[in-house]
Amino acid sequence: MADRYRPDSEPTTRTLLQRVLDTADLRTPRRRRSRRTLAQRTFLESPASKRLSSQTKTTTRRRSHGARSVVRLAHVQANGDLEEQTPRTLLKNILLTAPESSIVMPDSVMKPVEVSKVVQSSRQESSQGSLELQLPELEPSLTLAPGLPAPGKRKQRLRLSVFQQEVNQGLTRSQEPPGNADVSSLTSSLSLTFATPLQPQSVKRPGLARRPLTRRAVDIGALLQGLRDNSLASAPPADIVLEDTQPFSQPLVGCSPSVHHSLPHPSHIGIEDTERAVSHRRQSIGPGQQSHISLPCSELQPQPPEVTEAVGSQEVMEARKSKESSEDEDTSGRPAGPELASSTPDLLKTKQPHQFLEPPSLPPGVAVLSSEPLESMPVRLPPRPRTAGPRHHQDPYKAGLSYYAKLFSFYAKMPMEKKALEIVEKCLDKYFQHLCNDLEVFADHAGRKTVKVEDLELLMRRQGLVTDQISLHVLVERHLPLEYRQLLIPCAFTGNSVFPTQ
Amino acid sequence: MAFSTTVAQKKHVKRKAPRGFLKRVFKRRKPHLRLETRSDLLIHLNCLLFVHRLAEESRTNACESKCGVIKKDHVLSAAKVILKKSRG
Repeated sequence: MADRYRPDSEPTTRTLLQRVLDTADLRTPRRRRSRRTLAQRTFLESPASKRLSSQTKTTTRRRSHGARSVVRLAHVQANGDLEEQTPRTLLKNILLTAPESSIVMPDSVMKPVEVSKVVQSSRQESSQGSLELQLPELEPSLTLAPGLPAPGKRKQRLRLSVFQQEVNQGLTRSQEPPGNADVSSLTSSLSLTFATPLQPQSVKRPGLARRPLTRRAVDIGALLQGLRDNSLASAPPADIVLEDTQPFSQPLVGCSPSVHHSLPHPSHIGIEDTERAVSHRRQSIGPGQQSHISLPCSELQPQPPEVTEAVGSQEVMEARKSKESSEDEDTSGRPAGPELASSTPDLLKTKQPHQFLEPPSLPPGVAVLSSEPLESMPVRLPPRPRTAGPRHHQDPYKAGLSYYAKLFSFYAKMPMEKKALEIVEKCLDKYFQHLCNDLEVFADHAGRKTVKVEDLELLMRRQGLVTDQISLHVLVERHLPLEYRQLLIPCAFTGNSVFPTQ
Repeated sequence: MAFSTTVAQKKHVKRKAPRGFLKRVFKRRKPHLRLETRSDLLIHLNCLLFVHRLAEESRTNACESKCGVIKKDHVLSAAKVILKKSRG
């Protein structure tokens, strides 16, 4: 018997069951009810065993639940047992039959020596659950010990699936079918629960354990190559596009030759582009920040269009400034090809003073370039004519009316035409007129200059909304939200206070 | 503590009453009158009920003409009836 205590590094089912066995020693109620009838016991055990087996099945998938379920099982099974049917024995049998290092070695599943010990007690437990397992790989591993004695205990088999019958047929029988089926199914199922752990584990892995994302290593050379291709491919159109948005329209035609004659050194151009993009980005972010080269490279990857824009802007800048600086960069950039990291800070340092020469002009350009949708806005806003005048009368008034018109469409619960909504708004306008007139009359009748709640109530009564059956409070409760109800309907509060005060 | 105008958890009232709008409308039409603070809520209630009745009536009209969509003539005829009713 496997009584040795395993280290808890890997909580296998065995360890869990073992732990349960160790802890479940003191279950006295079990002993009290040992005089159960056969049917009751079998009835009790079958759901319990079923639960156990289902739990064993789940424990192969989720180890953590095994102990709990088994404990529950033991608790449930506390009631009905003969001596050889105790949960202890059942669990011990499980431990016996369960292979040691179950998951990894499916070959060691069938151990006839241990299987022989299973005997009649193990047949009931988990056999029903094994029925549920329905593992198709049952057939190949059916080498059960022929020496399994099968006690002739008929118990309720909750579900006898087809495969189970096949198992029964496939197994070598030495005893009567049910017992053998039970034992064999038990062992085979149990073995299979552990025999096919690879599959459930592989199944469960995506759910529980995140596969580490396999990232392709960023190839700087390929990146730069791609950038160069991008810049070359889109440089002419980019120039055209940028030409419109540049606040200072530089002769971009002159820039394109600079791009083209730098063709023979593609890698360096790529590097230069990254440098320019770095500097460009640095500009847009803030001056004087030396960031890592890797950062711009990573930034560049998701934003190739910005690189082209950066290239365009840099080209414009270079066109404005003397060409020598750009050529210096080219010459310095070319030999600095392999030592990108070392050279680029120097290059950037040389570039930055050039760039800082015209901070006022560039940031607008940079800001304009930073996002293309923003480019159009500063251009469009100034020429828009301001609509002044009767705005204050019409628009909020119409907005308020349309608010009620929307409510109309809600209340109607039917599709409506737009023209119908307009008519509703006109209707509301008339209604407001009538309303105000009526309120004025009522207030004057009461000798007041303020319209109060009583005037409103009178109005609603005359309209037929408030009747003897339906009071105003009822309407308030029905139609207004809670917060307004609190304001309108007097309610008693603690301290002998009523709000709102009458 | 007597009251709080806002509920603790959600300070967001569904179907808020456009109190400012109502007060402004009343002030525009009757500048010599004053409107009490709680009566504009009741005006809002009145508007809701009016719109409700209008919607019911126009829906009835549309259903009578066996139309799945509410058309403007349905609304017009409904408005006539309801405005007369709400005359007070």
